[in-house]
Parts: sequence; C-alpha cells; structure tokens
Amino acid sequence: MKVSHILQKKPYFPSLVRINSKPITMFGLFSLSIFILITIIGPFLVPNDPFTANMAERLAPPSLTYPFGTDHMGRCIFSRLIIGSQTTLGITALVIATVILIGIPLGLLSGYVGGRFDSFVMRLADGLTALPEFILAIAIAGFLGPSLTNLMISVVLVKWISYTRVVRGIILLEREKEYVLAAKVGGCPTWKIITRHLLPQIISPVLVLATLDVGKVILIISSLSYLGLGAKPPEPEWGAMLNDGRPYFQTIPELMFYPGMAIFILVLSCNLIGEGLRDKLDIKSI
Amino acid sequence: MLGLVRKRLVQLVIVLFLLSIFTFSLMKLAPGDPVMAILNADEMMVTEADQVKLRSELGFNQPLYIQYGQWMLGLIKLDLGTSYMSGKPVWNEMMERLPITVQLTVGALLVMVSISVPLGILSARYPGKWPDQISRICALIGASVPSFWFGLMLIYFFAFKLQILPSTGMGTFSQTILPSFALGFSLAAVYARLLRAGLLGSFSEDYIQAARARGVKEWRILWFHAFRAALLPVITVFGLSMGSLLGGAVVIEILFSWPGLGSMAVDAIFSRDYPVIQGYVLLTGVFVVVMNLFVDLSYYLLDPRIKQGKEGTA
Amino acid sequence: MPAVMDLKIQNLTNKDSQQKVSGLQSIPVLEIKDLSISLRGANRQEDHTLVKKLNFTIRPGEMLGLAGESGSGKSLTASAILGLLPKSLHVSEGQIEFRGKNLTRLSEKEMRCIRGKEIAYLFQNYQGSFTPFIKIGKQLIESLRSHEKIRKADARKKVLFWLERVQVPAERIFSSYPHQLSGGQLQRVSLAAALMFNPSLIIADEPTTALDVLTSKKILDLLADLQKEVGCAILLISHDLKHLLKRANSMAVMYGGQIIEKGLTENIETNPLHPYTKLLLRARSVLTQTVPGKLAVIPGEPGLVAKQGCSFTLRCTKSSEKCSMVPEMQLAEDSHCTACHNLETEEGN
Repeated sequence: MKVSHILQKKPYFPSLVRINSKPITMFGLFSLSIFILITIIGPFLVPNDPFTANMAERLAPPSLTYPFGTDHMGRCIFSRLIIGSQTTLGITALVIATVILIGIPLGLLSGYVGGRFDSFVMRLADGLTALPEFILAIAIAGFLGPSLTNLMISVVLVKWISYTRVVRGIILLEREKEYVLAAKVGGCPTWKIITRHLLPQIISPVLVLATLDVGKVILIISSLSYLGLGAKPPEPEWGAMLNDGRPYFQTIPELMFYPGMAIFILVLSCNLIGEGLRDKLDIKSI
Repeated sequence: MLGLVRKRLVQLVIVLFLLSIFTFSLMKLAPGDPVMAILNADEMMVTEADQVKLRSELGFNQPLYIQYGQWMLGLIKLDLGTSYMSGKPVWNEMMERLPITVQLTVGALLVMVSISVPLGILSARYPGKWPDQISRICALIGASVPSFWFGLMLIYFFAFKLQILPSTGMGTFSQTILPSFALGFSLAAVYARLLRAGLLGSFSEDYIQAARARGVKEWRILWFHAFRAALLPVITVFGLSMGSLLGGAVVIEILFSWPGLGSMAVDAIFSRDYPVIQGYVLLTGVFVVVMNLFVDLSYYLLDPRIKQGKEGTA
Repeated sequence: MPAVMDLKIQNLTNKDSQQKVSGLQSIPVLEIKDLSISLRGANRQEDHTLVKKLNFTIRPGEMLGLAGESGSGKSLTASAILGLLPKSLHVSEGQIEFRGKNLTRLSEKEMRCIRGKEIAYLFQNYQGSFTPFIKIGKQLIESLRSHEKIRKADARKKVLFWLERVQVPAERIFSSYPHQLSGGQLQRVSLAAALMFNPSLIIADEPTTALDVLTSKKILDLLADLQKEVGCAILLISHDLKHLLKRANSMAVMYGGQIIEKGLTENIETNPLHPYTKLLLRARSVLTQTVPGKLAVIPGEPGLVAKQGCSFTLRCTKSSEKCSMVPEMQLAEDSHCTACHNLETEEGN
C-alpha cells in the first residue's frame, strides 16, 4: 500500500492557480467568471422583465429604460441577454455534467473490466460516431419533436464517446503499471484501486476535454436553437434571440449583434481556458 | 491493402445496419400517428375506414420485423418511401436537392483549401511571426464564432453595407461566395493550424535535412517531402469533420435560403415528414461512413509504410 | 585562376604548421578558420558558444578524422559547413573556406548548389537519409536534376550506374521504398547519392554508428575504395577512435566545442599529448592482449565542460591553476599540435 501511494504522483485536482502564466488564459478565466457571476446575480440586475411584451415600445432604440433597445415584441434586449445566460450556461453545465457522469464510469469499467462489456461499449461508440452530432440532433429533433430536452439528449448521446475513449485509454495504460499491481498484491479491493489509484490519473485529461467541449456544446445548442430545433421562442436563449431578430436584420442589426457577440465571447473564453489548461497540464492527445 | 478494404467494407455494412435500425426505431418511437398526419394534411374529416385502409396500405398492421424487412428491401432498391408533404418519392426529392448542398460544401472546401494551405505553410515557415499569429487568432475565432452569426455578419457587411455581394439566392458565382466563406472559414482556420503542426513536425524530420544536404530545391522539399507527411493528420481530422461540415451546411442553407438537403431536413422536421427525415439521416450517415473509408484508404497513398495491422484501433 | 593562386600563397604563409603534412602538399579543399558557433540572440557570452575557434584543413584525397564524445560539437561543425545549422544557432565568428569560397558569406541559393553536388553528406541515421514515402530511384533522380539539366532517362541510367558501383542490386533498390531496405543497403545508397556528382568533399557524420560491426567495416572499406578512385576529401566524424585510427590520414580531437589536439594519425596514436586524448586511447580495448587489463575510465560525466579556461579542466587529472586560462594551440612536432598548458611538464616526465 505504501509503495502504491508513493508511486502515485498526480494530485487529485490540478492547481488552477498555476495557469496564470499566460495573460490570454487569464482573460478567458476572467471573462468566464463574469459570465458566471451574471448568471447568478442576473435576476437582480435586470432593469425590465425579460418576458413582458410591450407592443407600443417594439423595436425601440437604446434608451435609459432599455439599455440595448427592445425587440420585435417590445421586450428589453438587455434583460433578455442577461437572463439568457442562465439558459445557455445552465443547459451547457447540465449537458457536460451528464456527459461526464456517463462517460467516466463507462470508460473506467470498459478499461478495467474489459472483455465483452468493453467491446460492446466500443462498438456502440463506433456506431454513434458515424452519425455526426449535428445530424443526430436533427434526427432526434425530427422524430421526437423539436425541444430543448431532446436537443440535450442528442448532444449527450454523442459527447460521452470521447470521454469514455480517453478514460478507457488511460486505464488500459495504467492498469498494467507497477503501482496498480502493488496495490493488488497488497489486497486492495477493485473499487478502491479504481477510485484511489486510477481516478486521479484521468482528472486532468477529462478537465481539459470538458473545458474545450463547453464551447462546442454552447455552439451546437445555439445553432440548433437558431434553426428553431432547441429553445422555443419565449425562452430568452441567445440562439433563439438571434432567430427572432432575423426579419429586422437589415434595419436593426443590433438585434442580432448582441446575442451573437455574447455567444462568441463566452465560447472564446471557454476555448482560451481549455487551451491554456491543455498546454499547462501538457496533454497532447486531445 | 485489399485486406483493409475488406475490413472497412465489413465495418461499413455494420454501421449501415445500426444506422438503419436506429432510424427505423426512431420512426416507430416518434410521437403522433403518421397515418393521422397524412390524413390531416389534407384537412379532411377522417373516418375509421380511411385509417384502416391507409394503415394496411402502409403495412403498419404487420409485425415490426416484417415492417423492417420490407423497409430494408425497399432501401436496397433506393425506395425510401414517399414524402408526406410533397407526395414525391423521398429518393427523388433528395437527388433534386443534393446538387445544391454539394455546391455549397465544395465551395466551402475550396475556401478552406485556399486559405488554410498558404496560411498553414507560411505559419510553419515563420513560426511566431505575423502569419503564425494571424492563423492563431483566426483559429481561435473560427472555433468560437457561431457559424450562423458569422454568416449574418458577412451578409450585413458585404451585402447591405458594401453592397458588393448578394445576400441570398443561389445559382451564380457571386451568390456562392458568401455562403461558402461562412461555412469554410472556421474549418480553414482549424486546418491551417493542423497543417502548421504537421509541417513543423515534418520539417524537423531527418529526411528533410537529408534532402537539403543533397541540394534539393527548397520548394521541392516543401511540396514533395514535407507537405505529404504533414497531410496525414490533416486527412484524419478531415474525415472526422465531414460531419460538422454537413451540419454547418444545414445552418448556412437556412441562413442564405438555399433549398439544399439541410433546409429540406429542417422543413421536414417542422412538418413531421418522417420519411424525408429518415432519408436525410441515412444519406448523410452513409456519406460520412464512406468518406471515412476513403480517408483510411488515402493513408496508403500517402505513406507506403503503413501496413495492414498497424492502425487497427481506428 | 589568380584568386586560387593568391589563396595558395596566403595559405602557405599563414598556416605553416599545417603545410608539413607529408605527401599532401596541395591546395586545401576545405579550410576552417576560427570557426565559432553560438546560440542566436544570446549576448556574446562564453557559455552560449557551442563551438569555439575551430581550425582545420582538409586536402584532396585526404581523410580527416574528427573525434570527440557526443555533444562535443562534431556534428554542429558539419552542419555549419553545409550551412544547415538549426535556426537557433549561427556562425558567430570565423570562416569556412571551400575551394576559395567563404561558405559563411554565400546566399542560401548558392549554398544549395554546393550542397550535395560539391559537398556530400552521409548521415548517421540511415533511416532518415531518405524520405520514407518516395521511392529511392525517384529521390536520387530528384537530387541529380536539382543540380544539373539532365533528361529523366539519362538521370535514371546514371543513378543505376552508381547504385551498381556501391554493390547493391540496382534495379530492385531503384524501385524500392526506403523502409524496404536494410541499414547497410541504405548507407550504400547514400554513398551512391553522395558520389554521383563527383564531389570534392564528403562529410561522413558517424556513418556506421547505427550499423553492426561487419556491415560498418564493409561500408567504410567501400568508402575508402571509392575515395581512392574519385580522389575526393573525406571528413570522417566519429566517436569511435578505432575507425579513425585505422582509416584517417590525420585526426582532430574535440572536447567541449574546441579542438584540443590534432595532427597526423600515426603521431597521435603513438604520441598523444593532451590528457584527454591519452585517456581516450587508453580507454580502447586492444585485442592483442589476451586478457584485457582494466580499461582506463575518463573521470567525470561526459559533457562536463568548464565554462572558462580549458574546457577539459574539470575532468582532467592534471589540471592546475593555469588551466583557468584558455590554452593556446602549441606545435609539438611535424604539424602535431595541442591545446594544453601542461604540455612541457608532461614531456619532462
């Protein structure tokens, strides 16, 4: 047992403080924290009710009451943008969490148990990779009806694969190493080997994978919402807001500029953090 | 070589089988009664007799596996059923719209190649210098910007503000520029980075130094020695990104009002035209799988060292 | 050819120590004067200089052996001659005179015309000598056509001729990929590629280190035979004294980026002057002894190079206070010279 603990070098959680060496990564971290902050305290910030339509004030230019103006229903764009971050970030967090909760255990089991279970999981993954996530989302939206829940299901259905593959790969590599053998010889039960010795090895790659995926998930969800296959109109989701602004594009391009910019900056920050983490933790395979 | 082709073809059949099961069962799982959907489409009073008649016409009163078998038989004869909406065979409908999507994707690929190859080469030749920085920034933007929004901004600037390119419609060359660019830009940035990494990798290989020591001209070294090796990772990712290219094409088709396969699928989703959705999913699935088969085969042309068993994991 | 004549006179007056190489009284093919190679962008500090003030000459038909442990700057010197230093390094000082041209001053285009054609290079890593996905024949034709205007069919004939000269099955090798050949075959093909242009100088950078003993002997024999025929000069780089002592006419021993001893091979073998050379020679296993006595071990880590003064001082058993100064090259006998402060005392012993 002692040997195994000495040999197991990687800490459970890679220190986030150390990534401050790159200013651009810090920018990403900073701007993501602002987004998260807005999501949390957003409801106290909004100047107007994001759902109340006011046809008298429709398509109003920016003013003191409506900092970014109003949309085609006379709703405050600023408020909708702020509340919209809840939808976007909330859905993304939910999707990523689900994906991790499905992907990691499957990968751990697949790699550690192997055999029939492993080949079944891997064939399933192969089959699902043939369908790109966007097409799968269209298939599911098409057959089960266009809704946010179905959209999330289809993203989860595709995204778990890469986590399972990464985790499985690491486990296959690690389980033959001396420290695992030492733990086995020491009479350590399987579940303990997995949680104590193997799990720490996969934290860093999964963390990097997840940060880089956040951006992709946001893009997919907003793209499909833009097509009308995700969030439904009254919901202030950014992609859906872009769709709402479409008819007034030529006259009031701001209607589409703000939500698009919000998506862009949010995804950019996530990508900056993800790349910074990847370089810092030195994970090349992702 | 032949062994691998056989292996890939077997995989192809398995994947297609899974795909067909997947779409078939989704169709059966779909909420709502397709019979009612068809009859309601005509806005008529629906009688019980009408329903029974249609049900047996469509074979819905038979057990599932027979329905699947019949559906598969039809599939082999390229019979994907008829569209609930237009009443035309799905296959014909798709073949009508296919050239439009092909035009868009080919345009996007051209944009991608004509941006990523020079940018990738320049940033590999001068790492850290301005072409490298530009490609870095473009790659970051390309990976972060929503393609539909990028397309909208393109329309806004080039069609409304500068008025040099048409915003919608299709057919002419100038109408193809903006959609192709909107679809190809983010890919171009990604591939410029990939190409740069590949080129930097192959520039550091001994055989490049050896070719230089033999006095081979620098442009020959670039194109005949370094570029080819750098293409391997690029092509691998290319196979994988065919899916996102097709997915992106859906958004761009809607954005620029191109009546391609993507807009067909989205229209079909809203009108619950299941055979059309099914046809679309099957066609794109087959396309992606076949593209990946070609990617695998192209490894052999690029690098004769790859032997049959060497890359079994893919 | 007045320029060359001038050079000859200059050479005769400048480097009298090296003019006494017996039997090789001709214009040097390659003359390296005070060559230093440094890290680019470093502010001229001693420890950023990887090769310091190198001087040596090679004459036509001569084989000069360059010995030294890994990291002593042998291969860097070779890369510098070809103008193929990595971008982070540059020639900070000195000249590389090749047949009257200063190679450090030439443009990249002019260098390319010399590379391969006039100076050929044999790599240690034979697997990296040819691009893996292009057939051998195609690559050889490519290098031929990079230097001379020649029709494809003629180029093919010439390539096949030279492949036969290096004793490989020409037709088969011609249409093979590099990975289908053995190491010996590849090194022979590189030799053919080198000799095709009848170069004035071949730089062989540890050409046989990656090969087995028998194959490497055959390759070196072939190299020597072909050298006699063609009459070119060879710079043979090796960490293996055995090869150098057997084949080279003269030798230079490098340590820590400096030449610490050079001279005719027989002089160095019989009368080594520098402590490092002595240790190197004693560290060889000699087959005449039936039971080899304990081999000498050079103390200290390889690559332990003093930042100031004599680079070997940290590992030298005879190091003294004087050694904190950089030693000058001193002539001992018949072009045999060394850079060591303790030379007189040594000889006194």
